[in-house]
Amino acid sequence: MSLILLSLMVLPLIGAAFIAFNKAEWAKWLGLGWSLITFIWSVIAALAFFDWSDSGSMQMIFRREWIPSIGVDFSLGVDAVALLLILLTTLLGPICMAASFTAINERRRLFYASLLVLQAAMTGVFASRDLALFYFCFEFTLAPMYVLINLYGSTNRQAAATKFFLYTFTGSLIALAGFLYTGWKVSLWNGGLWSFDIATLTEYASRMSATEQTWVMFALLAGFAVKVPLFPVHTWLPLAHTEAPTAGSVILAGVLLKLGTYGIFRFVLPFTPVAVLQYAPAIAILSIIGIIYAGLICWVQRDVKKLVAYSSVSHLGFCVLGLVALNSAGMVGSVMYMVNHGLSTGALFLLIGFMYERYHTRSLNEVGGLASRMPIWAFFMVFFTLASVGLPGLNGFVSEFLCMLGAYQSGATWGVGGTAGPLGPWFAVFAATGVIVSAIYLLFMVGRIVFGPLQEPADHHAHEVLPTDLSVREISTLAPLAILCLVLGVYPAPLLIALEGPVAETVAMYDEVRANSAIAEAPPTVDTIEGESVVLLEREDLP
Amino acid sequence: MTTLELTTLAQSGAEALAPITLYHYLFVSAVMFAIGVIGFLSRRNMIIMFLCTEIMFQAAGLALIAFSRLHFNHSGDVFVIIVLTVAAAEAALALGLVVYLFRRKGSLDALQWAQLSG
Amino acid sequence: MLDLLQNLPTLTTLAAEGADAAQSAGMTSYEFPGVGKDWMGLIPLMPLISCVLCGLFWFLGVKSKLPAFTTVLFLGVSFVLTVAAYFQIHPEGLVQRVMWFNWLALDTASEGGGLYIDFAFYFDSLTILWMLFVSGLATLIALYASEYMADDKGPGYCRFFFAFSLFVFAMSCLVMGDNLVLLFLGWEGVGLCSYLLIGYYFKKPSAVEAAKKAFIMNRIGDLGLLIGIMMTWTQFGSLEYSEIFSQIADLNASGEEIPWAITIIPYLFMIGAFGKSAQLPLYTWLPDAMEGPTPVSALIHAATMVTAGVYLIARMYPFFVLNPTALAIVAWIGGLTALLAATIGMAQFDIKRIMAYSTVSQLGYMFLGLGVLTSAGGAFHVFTHAFFKATLFLCCGAVMHGFAGQLDLRKLSGVMKMKGWGIVGIAMLVGCINLAGLPFTAGFFSKDMIIAEAFVTPGFGLLGWIALLTAGLTAYYTFRVFFRVFIGPVEYEPGDDHHGAEESQDHHEEEAHDHGHFHPHAPGWAINAVLAILAVASILVAGVYFMGDHGGWAGSMVHDSTAYYESPYAAHDGEAHGSPALFGLDPHKAMYYISGVVALVGILFAWFLHLAGRKTAATSRADALKVKLGPIARAAENKWYVDEIYNAIIRVPLLVASHIFALIDKLIVDGLVDGAGWLPRGVAKGLRPSQNGIFQNYATGMAGGLALLLIIVWAMSMTGGSG
Repeated sequence: MSLILLSLMVLPLIGAAFIAFNKAEWAKWLGLGWSLITFIWSVIAALAFFDWSDSGSMQMIFRREWIPSIGVDFSLGVDAVALLLILLTTLLGPICMAASFTAINERRRLFYASLLVLQAAMTGVFASRDLALFYFCFEFTLAPMYVLINLYGSTNRQAAATKFFLYTFTGSLIALAGFLYTGWKVSLWNGGLWSFDIATLTEYASRMSATEQTWVMFALLAGFAVKVPLFPVHTWLPLAHTEAPTAGSVILAGVLLKLGTYGIFRFVLPFTPVAVLQYAPAIAILSIIGIIYAGLICWVQRDVKKLVAYSSVSHLGFCVLGLVALNSAGMVGSVMYMVNHGLSTGALFLLIGFMYERYHTRSLNEVGGLASRMPIWAFFMVFFTLASVGLPGLNGFVSEFLCMLGAYQSGATWGVGGTAGPLGPWFAVFAATGVIVSAIYLLFMVGRIVFGPLQEPADHHAHEVLPTDLSVREISTLAPLAILCLVLGVYPAPLLIALEGPVAETVAMYDEVRANSAIAEAPPTVDTIEGESVVLLEREDLP
Repeated sequence: MTTLELTTLAQSGAEALAPITLYHYLFVSAVMFAIGVIGFLSRRNMIIMFLCTEIMFQAAGLALIAFSRLHFNHSGDVFVIIVLTVAAAEAALALGLVVYLFRRKGSLDALQWAQLSG
Repeated sequence: MLDLLQNLPTLTTLAAEGADAAQSAGMTSYEFPGVGKDWMGLIPLMPLISCVLCGLFWFLGVKSKLPAFTTVLFLGVSFVLTVAAYFQIHPEGLVQRVMWFNWLALDTASEGGGLYIDFAFYFDSLTILWMLFVSGLATLIALYASEYMADDKGPGYCRFFFAFSLFVFAMSCLVMGDNLVLLFLGWEGVGLCSYLLIGYYFKKPSAVEAAKKAFIMNRIGDLGLLIGIMMTWTQFGSLEYSEIFSQIADLNASGEEIPWAITIIPYLFMIGAFGKSAQLPLYTWLPDAMEGPTPVSALIHAATMVTAGVYLIARMYPFFVLNPTALAIVAWIGGLTALLAATIGMAQFDIKRIMAYSTVSQLGYMFLGLGVLTSAGGAFHVFTHAFFKATLFLCCGAVMHGFAGQLDLRKLSGVMKMKGWGIVGIAMLVGCINLAGLPFTAGFFSKDMIIAEAFVTPGFGLLGWIALLTAGLTAYYTFRVFFRVFIGPVEYEPGDDHHGAEESQDHHEEEAHDHGHFHPHAPGWAINAVLAILAVASILVAGVYFMGDHGGWAGSMVHDSTAYYESPYAAHDGEAHGSPALFGLDPHKAMYYISGVVALVGILFAWFLHLAGRKTAATSRADALKVKLGPIARAAENKWYVDEIYNAIIRVPLLVASHIFALIDKLIVDGLVDGAGWLPRGVAKGLRPSQNGIFQNYATGMAGGLALLLIIVWAMSMTGGSG
């Protein structure tokens, strides 16, 4: 029993309550302080209480009965993947707080409290070891995010908030149906005893028949693909991003999108292996379409924020591609991609936010050549753009390369380096054209907004509080992200090794599934038929 | 179907009278309920409508008591007592509301209050 | 191209012979690298430190020449270390490896292997050959830039040297990396620095546009390289040179059939090489890259970065010799690019652009050399070209610096005769004779090696003639510049300077508008010293042709590395090994005379058209010729409209597609979602009248519903009761 994860969830909630009962002027400092404390505590926890050499197994476990009648536990625990994403969440917390100091001037308490509540919910998503708790947190993220977009966004915020909420909510309701079916099915094998323990479900869910797995997979994907977002269910994202306040965009791009890929990694892949093996090429094709299609759309956007939002759609395509490659390189690359995209795209949204605060426009037609006005801003903009483009030496490259390599190897039957898998070289080749497309649109953006002759809106006045270039506070929100981008690009080896652990289990599972299907394809003997038949589980089988 | 006869006090004294069975009670209850429903749906005076709901209440109570007697237990009786109590409280509240509504519009016509129109 | 088709049968025979030769030429075994000395790891570290320091100066707001001298110092140390490494590696032909740290690591035990990519450096003589001129020239050019960029002292100056040092670091990784991913890091890194430095004058839209074009065109090439890397990994399960080459050597030794993947890999690497080295069809970015400051053009876009493609193919030569078709494509692309770029260069007026086209053209020669199985010739030409082309660019830069950005050869004349311009003029002359390939210059020897091989290798005779023709054109356009700008009547017109920083811009603009007071300012000591050193070096480089046994010193360097391949047709050191004689002579000897004559004819043409009897800067006898040539001259001046064609067939369709996608996304993909959102609203609209607020209606509905329910229950009990 370890209270660390619980404390990571509860600390922000206490902070939120604290903010709610204090003066509005203090809200920003309280928010920053609480999120900083949470962040420091999470780093200490990750370094001191997590055994990185055993990164594949669940650690810091906390478990209490919650709704015993249907087998729901309040059960927490993390492996390296979840811990990494929790660290990303807690890191972005203080950064979002500090970035909003001058941008948010009314209803401050609600704003900062919402951010903290959101952080608690996101931590809960990554930390839960119980499906019901996961789903509860997963849905609960919508509420504070809805508040953030609806109350603090720009002109079209209400429509954006509604669309965001309804779109993702509809998707996850379908996912809930998939979850319930899985739970019901497992309970049948378990003599009618329900359990939502993820480990248990993971162990038994794959015994569902191929047809059932297909249905469950599509149900779960309906929830997670919307969140990722995968083409063609991505259209809520550009709208939500454009309208959200800066901090909201950062959290949205940084963490909320990862709930989708994390869900695919944690549930879709282990629950429905047979169906995933069958449909992985289709999912990969959707991600590749997303990569190229969204990339080209970026090129013709004139709203910078929308451009970066579409670039998220394009980038997350790589992430999903790596996941469905179903081998170590692809999946480790994909998890790294979740973190790296959070860092670099989060930073890009921060930068655009800082620009917006000064010029009150995001249109590429109205501002340009800001390098001559704001050199530090320009430096960071170029830096994070390059990280986003996937320049080797910065973080984006590592994950992009591994994702593509994974897709390439997957199913390559020749040579020494090929692995089993459903994809193949052509998937990587087409995905790799995304590398050119991303260079086209991101350099187009930088060429317009950073370089070129200086152009400012006609009615532009100097900001009453902010200096022309970035203030120390703004720099200190960007600097940690920049340093992390560099470190993760230059020395990702320890993390990659640590991520190998959690991924290896899934890879091994797929090897087994392939072996079984090879048996199934062989002429059936009495043994195999009995071996494949559904076995009623004894009560003792369940932990 | 078997016909269950209620043993009543009258039964021992007056053999000639036809026995009053459960169906008689239920018939009366159904008729009362129908009167209540029709009244409620057809009348527009709020007080009359309220009285109609009371009639429906009593119809239900009658049926309950009849069944209670049939099964020789008191759950039905208890329930009726509770319903009567609640109905009394409710009547006070409802009449208060009606008075309030009357003051607002100067009329007891239910059609005056259609603001929930979609 | 028809010729290529006709020659295909010959090429397939070449394949068979090439494979035989591969086995006989000592490629059967490969030695794994030994552990290098730790200090060799400092070679790439030095520019990195300098880069970090310049970045620091930038943040600290240093306004002196400190960044420049820091850079010169650290790059100089790097050069000295490279020379030391040369003495460590070369005499015994060692192969050594120096490890920094583990970069990417993926322990995929479950899949029977691990992906380990180290930040480690690989030293063999090919690496050293490249690093010698990279670090040496970088040091000199940094010194030159310390004066050239002096107008921008302050943030711009720091930014310049930051990117400059970063470039040298990236180039070191590219050349010295011990695996393909580190090469890719360097490859993209030099692309980034090229982007940053081309766009150095970022307020100029044309510079920004050129920088973007360079980066994106390079990325198209990088795509090929990236896929090639993934293919190599899948085939060999490793990306380290030592592992790959030893597997290839084993494959050769075993005599088994070559796996198809290995025959595909050269095509992919080739795409990368063509992008980075500005070959057809991806060459158009290089001339535009001249928007950058001249030292950048000299270092990155002439001497070092653009030779990365040549390096890649030389490094991966064991792959290429296994696929003669790939080699033939390399040769043809090289030869055709050389010719095309030379024809464009003849018609340009901007001297820097002429030099850029000559770079493209000379790079074409290098690829031709690689394609006709003389990796030594290709590498030697890279080496000599680095020196004389850097000299030429730096001379152009000195002119540009002195005449307020004037680059038009119609507006400058007789510069050499002006006071203080002697060294520039002489250095320019040295560069020109090298580029033109006048006998006994370095450029002459290296170019001859390539052209002679083209003649002796069966099936490439036509390419030999193309290369000879190009040599003549090269001599012509080179001396066209020299005769127009450096000698002849003294005349000048200052340009509208585009040196970056604002204050100096205003200052220069005043000067520019005030013609009467404009005085060209002659170069100072740094520029002159660098030019003098480079000019001397360009001459001396010719000497290395006579050192060593395998086609000169450069040849011997290549000989000790995996890039070496003994062409079955090679004629070396005066002994024709049964190879076809050229005009009854040994091909290399014959080439001395032929190409010497061709170069002289080219120069004579240039003298006749551009110097003899020229009275003013703007006019010459060539004007009449231009009128006669009409549309051809105009097309050449407009670069054969290649940019316009690319724009029309690639960029515009892509842009149109993007707009269409954006519309589809808005109307159809999002439209369907919004449509789904309207559905419940529509249904609700239909049902709305039923909610009229009259609660008796609701009650009626309730009673009706109840009645209905009762009827259903009753009906069911009737049917159920009977059963």
